[in-house]
This record gives sequence, structure tokens and C-alpha cells, in this order.
Amino acid sequence: MIKLDRVTKYFRTKTGKKYILKDVSMVIPSDKNIGILGRNGTGKSTIMRMLGQIEFPNRGKITSDKSFSWPLGLSGGFVGNMTGRANVKFVCRLYGKSKKEIDEIINYVKDFSELNDYFDMPIKTYSSGMKSRLSFGLSLSFDFDYLLIDETLSVGDANFRKKSKMALMKKIENCHVLLVSHDMGTLRDICDVGIVVNNGKIHYFDDINRAIDEYASINK
Amino acid sequence: MIKKRSSFKIFLAVQHALFLRELSMRFSSGRMGMFWTFFEPFFQIFIFVLIKMALFGSSENSFDFAVFLALNFTAFNMFKNIVIKSTASFKANKALFLYKQVKPIDTIIARTMVEVFITSIIILIFLFLGFYFDFDMQVEDLTMVSLGFLWLIVFAFAFSLVVAVVNAFIDSIGKLLGFLMTGLMFASAVFYSMNRLPIEVQNLLMYNPVANFMEMIHGYYFETLDDRLVSYNYIFLWTIILLYMGLWLYIKLEKRIISI
Repeated sequence: MIKLDRVTKYFRTKTGKKYILKDVSMVIPSDKNIGILGRNGTGKSTIMRMLGQIEFPNRGKITSDKSFSWPLGLSGGFVGNMTGRANVKFVCRLYGKSKKEIDEIINYVKDFSELNDYFDMPIKTYSSGMKSRLSFGLSLSFDFDYLLIDETLSVGDANFRKKSKMALMKKIENCHVLLVSHDMGTLRDICDVGIVVNNGKIHYFDDINRAIDEYASINK
Repeated sequence: MIKKRSSFKIFLAVQHALFLRELSMRFSSGRMGMFWTFFEPFFQIFIFVLIKMALFGSSENSFDFAVFLALNFTAFNMFKNIVIKSTASFKANKALFLYKQVKPIDTIIARTMVEVFITSIIILIFLFLGFYFDFDMQVEDLTMVSLGFLWLIVFAFAFSLVVAVVNAFIDSIGKLLGFLMTGLMFASAVFYSMNRLPIEVQNLLMYNPVANFMEMIHGYYFETLDDRLVSYNYIFLWTIILLYMGLWLYIKLEKRIISI
């Protein structure tokens, strides 16, 4: 369960405050895969990050007893001078993994990302596709209640894309997702419920198809 | 599923991870960086021994001037590096705040610990060389010298917390700091002892808290020097006020720092 209690979030711009949420209270039930829809710049990613508690509202409170991943496929936290292996180890240590667990995760990520020798080379020698593979594999090797996904389902080449989509589908049998996407097909495939963001308001739909219809009507 | 951990356990895990990360960043960022870290104090000692010989000839002190410099520069460099490294740490580690257990203040604590660790290695190197070349390293009161170092660490942490929070919103502060540190070194009894200066200058310079720490540390290290100019109430006040101010500002602004 994720509970929003009179949440207000805005960004200050030169022309004044731009509201993403204005005094919103609602409860999102557990055990649902949540899709977040909205036009560019309406604050979908910000809302996803607020629900995942890595960004905070200006007023009000968001509470949940669930664990959330970092945004999936994100490679910003990697250190260029350190090897892929060292970076993976760092994240494992952040989550307090034991030595044995760290070894297991390293083997999994090495295997999944297909980086071979590059796994023991500094990240700065990686291409952006290779970086995404590493971080995607890393995200999948932890067990969270919710995975945060921000339109990063399409990383790497066609082959890897297929593989990662399959791995993700298998993963979400045991956990849930918060998915930001413009791809209606993906949203229908993965999500159960939908949130549509528009002009400082959000609408919750307990059926993703109705959320998609609403989104289509906004876009008219 | 991810098991629930107590917040202290999370803190320890985060510190462990950050410490090793900072350390390997330091070691891997080109060999020159690491070399300079350990070579800097020797270079400083060398320069100031030369200057002293040029100005005063080889006039005898009541203590070994090289040991005096080694002690003071170790302490002052530790202070300087904690402040300079921590001040930049919010922006440098911004990407890590996406892991929600990493709080901005964790990065300052980790960087402080890394500096303390590097300082300990430098102290070990000095001790080794000192014994090997038979320098007179007699300590008057080791407990008080250690206390001086520990207190200086807390003071440096408190100071850098204040500067780091301000620096997160006002960019230029951090840049100014490197420049100010050089000036501070000259005003902090690092390569001289206060009791050699005229009274008026003493009175003025002892308003500088870092000078108080230096006087405390070398006052208790050398039999022939003392801490009579040090005002413990004064540096205690500085430490408490900076710590309070830093934590207060930090708590008020933590969420905004996470999303800078």
C-alpha cells in the first residue's frame, strides 16, 4: 500500500511555480503493477521517484511499508575509474549483502550482461549500451517489492532487448512495478492499474485500459 | 524480499560501501594523485626547514624542528583535506542519492573517515622514518596529543558540514575555500610556535580556532612547549556552535540537497 497524504509538489520556474501535484490524497493498493501515463513534462518521472521515496514532496507525506528499487537501468551512480565488478560490489555493500550473496550477485550480473572481459575493465571504457546492460542486470539481481522503471525497457541490441524483456517478465512474477512509459503495448502487457497525470492532478484507474483511454482523450 | 534492517545497520553498510568506494576512487584516479597525497607533507617540511635555515641559520631549538613540522603539517593537512574534500561531496555524489539509503551526510562522514585513514598512514610513515633515522620524537603527553587530533577531526567535520550545506546552494564558496586554506595555514601556528611572536600578534591570532588546536597539539607533544595560550572554552564553543548550526541547516535542507 502506498499512501499519499495531501501531497503538493512543484518546481520553481522563472514564470512562477509549476505544479505537478496539488494537494493530492489517495491510496494505491498493494499487489498491483502500476503504470504512470502523461504527456512529456507533466512530471511522470518525478511522481514515480516520489512514490519510490527518492524525491520528496514540498508539502504532505508519502508513506509505504514496501521496498523500492532505484530507477531501473540507471547508470549514473557508477564510477568511471572503477571496474564493472567493483561497481556491482559497491551497490551490494550498500544493501548490506554478505560475502556469499555478493559472489552470487556478481556471477549473475556477469552472466546476464554478457560483458565478458569488459566486466573487469573500468566503466569509462564501456559504451552506453554496455553500461545499461550492467545496470539492468544489477537491478534484476535484487529482490524488491517494487521495481521502478522509467522507459528504459529498450536497452542494447535486439537480442539483448528480447532477453531483458523476458527476464523482467519473469522477475515481476514475484514483485511489482512502477512503470513510466509512452508505449501503450508495454503498459497493457505489464500493468494492472494506471495513474494519469495531467495539469497538477492525478487520476487513479483500477483498470489500465481505462487509464489508457483517458490518456488518449487528453491527447486529442 | 529485501529484509528489513535497522537504521544503524543500514548506516554501517552504507559507510562501509562508501569508504571503500572513496578509497578506491582515490587510488585509481591517476598515480600522481596518490603520490602527491603522501609526498606533500615531506615537501612542506623540506621547504620550511630550508626557509628556517636561510633566515636563522642552524640556530638550535629546544626541540627538533623537522619533528615539529611533521606533527603540525600532519594535523593541519588533515583538517584542510577533510574540509576541502567534504565540501564538494554533495555534488560529487549526487548520483548516489538515487539509492534511498544513501543520505548526503553519509558522504561527508565517509570522506572524513577516508582522510583520517590517510592521515594515520602518513603518521605511520613518519614514525617509521623517525625511528629509522633516529630523530628525537619524545612525546610529553600522548593522551592529550591524541585528544587534540580527535577533537580536531570533530571540529573539521562540523566546519565542513556547514560549508557543504551552504556550498550546495551557493556555488562559489567551495572555490574560495582552497584559496583561504593557504592563508589559514600562515595564521595557524603550523610552522612556528605562538610563543615566539609578539604579544599583540598572539592575541590576534589566537582568535583563530585552528591555531588553538595547533598550540594544543604541539604544546602537549614537546616538553619545552606548553598550551598556555589555548582557550579550551573558546574552541569548545566553536565546535558546539558549528556542529549545531551544521546539523540544523542539514536537517532543514536535506530533502532539497537530495534533489539539487
